Amino acid sequence: MSKNINDTETVNPIVLFSINHPKFITRVMTIITLILITVAALPNFFPKELSFLNTLQVDTDPENMLSADENARVYNAQMKKEFSLSDIVVVGITNEFNDNGVFNPKTLSNIHALTQFALSLHWLDEETGKQAGVIGIDLLSPSTVDNIEQGGLGSVNFSWLMPDTPKSQEEALKVRARAKRIPFLDGTLISDDGQALALYIPLTDKHLSYQIREKLLARIAEFGEIEEDYYITGLPVAEDTFGVEMFKQMAISAPIAMLVIFLMLWWFFKRLIFVTSPMILAMVCALSTMAILIITGNTIHIMSSMIPIFIMPIAILDAVHILSDFFDKYNKIQDKRQTIIHVMDELFTPMLITTLTTIAGFASLALTPIPPVQTFGIFIAIGVFLAWFWSITFIPAFIVTIPDEKLAGFISTNNNKASDHKTLMARLLIKMGDFTYNHALLIVLVSISTVGVAAYGISKINVNDNPIKWFNAKHPIRVADRVLNEHFGGTYMAYLALEVDANKTINANFKPAMLERLSAAEENAVQLKLTHAKEIFLLVNSKIQNHIGSEELLATKLLELLDKGFETSADDEFDTWDQVQLFIDTESQRSEIFKQPDALNYLAGLQTFINNLEVVGKSNSLSDVIKTVHRELLLGKDEEFRIPDSSNAVAQTLITYQNSHRPHDLWHFVTPDYKKTSLWVQLTSGDNQDMAFVEQEVASYIAAHPMPHNLHAKWFGLTHINVVWQEKMVTGMFESFAGSFIVVFIMMFLLFRSFFWGLLSMIPLTLTVGLIYGFIGFIGKDYDMPVAVLSSLSIGLAVDYAIHFLSRAREYTIRYGSWEEAIGPLFSGPAMVISRNAIVVGVGFLPLLAAPLVPYQTVGFFIASILFLAGIISLLLLPAIISLMPNLFFRNLKNN
Amino acid sequence: MNLKHIILALSCSLTSYTALATPTVDEIIHKTNYTSYYTGQDGKAKVKMIITDAQNRVRTRQFTILRKDVPTTDDLANNTYLGDQKMYVYFTRPVDVNKMVFMVLKHIAADDDRWLYLPALDLVKRIAASDQRTSFVGSDFLYEDVSGRNLDADKHTLISEDANYYVVENTPIDADSVEFSKYVMYIHKTTFLPIQTEYFDKQGTKYKVYTALKVENIQGHQTITKSEAKNLQTGGNTILEYSSVAYDTGFPDEIFSERFLRKAPRKYLR
Repeated sequence: MSKNINDTETVNPIVLFSINHPKFITRVMTIITLILITVAALPNFFPKELSFLNTLQVDTDPENMLSADENARVYNAQMKKEFSLSDIVVVGITNEFNDNGVFNPKTLSNIHALTQFALSLHWLDEETGKQAGVIGIDLLSPSTVDNIEQGGLGSVNFSWLMPDTPKSQEEALKVRARAKRIPFLDGTLISDDGQALALYIPLTDKHLSYQIREKLLARIAEFGEIEEDYYITGLPVAEDTFGVEMFKQMAISAPIAMLVIFLMLWWFFKRLIFVTSPMILAMVCALSTMAILIITGNTIHIMSSMIPIFIMPIAILDAVHILSDFFDKYNKIQDKRQTIIHVMDELFTPMLITTLTTIAGFASLALTPIPPVQTFGIFIAIGVFLAWFWSITFIPAFIVTIPDEKLAGFISTNNNKASDHKTLMARLLIKMGDFTYNHALLIVLVSISTVGVAAYGISKINVNDNPIKWFNAKHPIRVADRVLNEHFGGTYMAYLALEVDANKTINANFKPAMLERLSAAEENAVQLKLTHAKEIFLLVNSKIQNHIGSEELLATKLLELLDKGFETSADDEFDTWDQVQLFIDTESQRSEIFKQPDALNYLAGLQTFINNLEVVGKSNSLSDVIKTVHRELLLGKDEEFRIPDSSNAVAQTLITYQNSHRPHDLWHFVTPDYKKTSLWVQLTSGDNQDMAFVEQEVASYIAAHPMPHNLHAKWFGLTHINVVWQEKMVTGMFESFAGSFIVVFIMMFLLFRSFFWGLLSMIPLTLTVGLIYGFIGFIGKDYDMPVAVLSSLSIGLAVDYAIHFLSRAREYTIRYGSWEEAIGPLFSGPAMVISRNAIVVGVGFLPLLAAPLVPYQTVGFFIASILFLAGIISLLLLPAIISLMPNLFFRNLKNN
Repeated sequence: MNLKHIILALSCSLTSYTALATPTVDEIIHKTNYTSYYTGQDGKAKVKMIITDAQNRVRTRQFTILRKDVPTTDDLANNTYLGDQKMYVYFTRPVDVNKMVFMVLKHIAADDDRWLYLPALDLVKRIAASDQRTSFVGSDFLYEDVSGRNLDADKHTLISEDANYYVVENTPIDADSVEFSKYVMYIHKTTFLPIQTEYFDKQGTKYKVYTALKVENIQGHQTITKSEAKNLQTGGNTILEYSSVAYDTGFPDEIFSERFLRKAPRKYLR
């Protein structure tokens, strides 16, 4: 297989073209990149003129972890609408300097002022013609919520909880005492310890939250010297802040990574001229990929914002291979054109294969059911392809254009250095080579035991995510989150919707019970001595008896009968027909499930169960509202804090409640047809595993305590959505990993045309993934989204070194006659390239550790680890295995 | 659109219309108060209330209102018509609030007395009248809209007039006690019926609009028989349809007592 270096026919025609037309290649690359950047950037400056092009869109909505047509999301949107639930900015207020916390006239007057200010934050949206901003009627504050309590003379009183600024300490404490007595407010508006307050400011659109937050902060600043602290949080605020942080991230981390890689390259190659070309390449690939992302209308999401930082090191990888090789070969060949042809000939296949495996690894993410992860995978694959293409064209072109005299000067210094005193790394590598041959069994045994330990670690992996924890612990959002969850029933909302299971309501045998109720109504009419009661009720009776079909259809038929009755009846029969109407209306109201005491008591029982779960701070439901009003109707006695005994009593309790300032509050808990109810659960933790735990417990409670009226329960709310996408992520990632693993194995099998070599090349990546996840299991780091993505990433990266190392191992064994002889050269040449590569790229990811957002830190740390591990395993374990079983691997080669 | 119909109907029905000198704002608001709340010595109506929310979900309620004035004259001179009133609201629908009663003794010089009878709980409850601007049974009408706002609570200004309307702006004297900053009434010139009333919040944004949708002549009195309260904050609205309206039926005082809460005076409610 020895090559004639003058034989230009062996090199790929694209590479040859590039060497022959270096200026053309450079120009084409520059022009394409500039066009892409322009098309991506211009619409942002001239959105109207270029409306046919996509503008840059930032997406920080955690809901978008699921695609828009995902059942859980569709249901969530539908329920949010039905229960009129808006996105909320939460303002938590604490006062550490006062024994009564915020319940003093000064603080409460500030809160009152802030509430009035918040209520003013709405305006007419020119585009929609509707009011935008704060939804005043749903704002929760002591100044805007009702107090229900006993008035004088045994009366019940609906009044504003805090109609005006309290004038005295006594009045301030009264506000607290009243709020503590109303379950809906206790733990929500007022903290459990009675020291803090929280305002809930609903918005017409969550994208206004940053703006509203800024305005609130400005108003708070006007208070001057104050004792109390204000914490502004809530999911919309977190999302907006996240978007801002993300841009900082891209503007700071990516350039720092560039700088670090630049310094590393310089340190290894010592010549600026060598360093510039990979840097240009990295820039071109990162910018083009992001430009294509924007042009194709994809959004900048937490995942896609990491694309440049992934592409840059990968792009440099191939360039470094070419340069290192060129660097070594030029000494012997002394002709840049011949050297580059030789180098490219040798590297073309491994580079193509490593690129394909990397693309396979990332593109496999497109199989996951999580749209941002799909986008991330696909665009990195695009970027990797671009990196490969420009590496095999631009890098050779660039090298060819370097003046010979510059290269000449470069050789001499380097030559001396290499021969006179080998670098520390070079000496270490040589020793390492010997070690792998002499202690092969030891290495294999240590590796096997490491695998055992890693397997144990993997068994301990904890699947969990929490978007709030994407901010680091000192971030104001995290601080606010912690403070509020310490004081209140929890800021993480999950909702459990209860409604009739449409599939189970078909009750074929509804007639006997209905007829029984009819005869009771008839008896009543007869007692009232209504005219022709018997005759008229007989009409109704036969209508029911003769009816064939559903209960609903019967209801329509009965209404027709009623209308006819009212139209045609004699005057004296009017009251009888009125009695018939009472019966028909009563029947139709039987479908108003959440006026029925048994349904409400079930709801209350379920709520008690949920409240006792560890992570649940509190819950709110329709039954709380009913119990509270019922208690106040009955002289405020604690034993009357219960669901009344009849559905009419419930209805009358509820209509009393609706005589308040905020009757619409009721529709957050029940739909006006009383067929659906929502139980609000407040969790003190946004960890998906905590929500998953609550869901499991509730499911088993419902299984043990069947629901009345064929009800069924279904979760919604963002905390639930997080659980849904997490489940999808775990299974989706496993499938995508398994898929790409098989694809890469087949590629390896084809590349080496040998089952055993193919299998061998899979070992570093398998072990790397195993060790990384074992480590994650051991240190107790949650398996979250960034961690999940790492598996596909390792496939792409970890196999590269194995390909380079093994293809050289085969080549060198043939060249030097035996494996033993090949080890020395292998560890001075190719091992060196691999080591440099792992160090340059690995260190290049480390600046991410300084990032303010946790996912970036995670990714930075683990990618660096993946690269180092894959490098070490490739250089230690692979030669050790070959040394143990040379016959297995070289049998066919020898025959050749 | 509806407004124009009403104005047309009103103008046509009043054949003896002659141009008069503009009355004072006091005269206007008293006449309006009279036509809205004090017509006849007593009044009776069956009411259908249709509450529609922003999602077009509809709830209905039906009740009968009996109203009796304490002053025994309808004379507008020196405002002698003005005085305490008694009101009895008897609910029939939805079925589960059937027989529920809401009773008010309205006092001009003091807080009103309000009672609620909840038959299913067999409970008569006084409702503290500290705030009259709470919802009336969950609708977009407030308790005060039903019983009438005390004229002395606001400062009234005639801000403009045209061929059909006097436009009166009303600003609360105690601004902190109410949620609005002002309300503007469009009062029909010949009938003195408030055809439209618009409420503005403290930021000056219009948030509620009351409109008369239908006016009928009943026993010689021009009477609003269909009206709407549109809530611009919630996007919902409530429509009140009056039927069987009758004035001066002559029901006795005694039915406005606690005793008749539990045992409705059926005779007068038909």
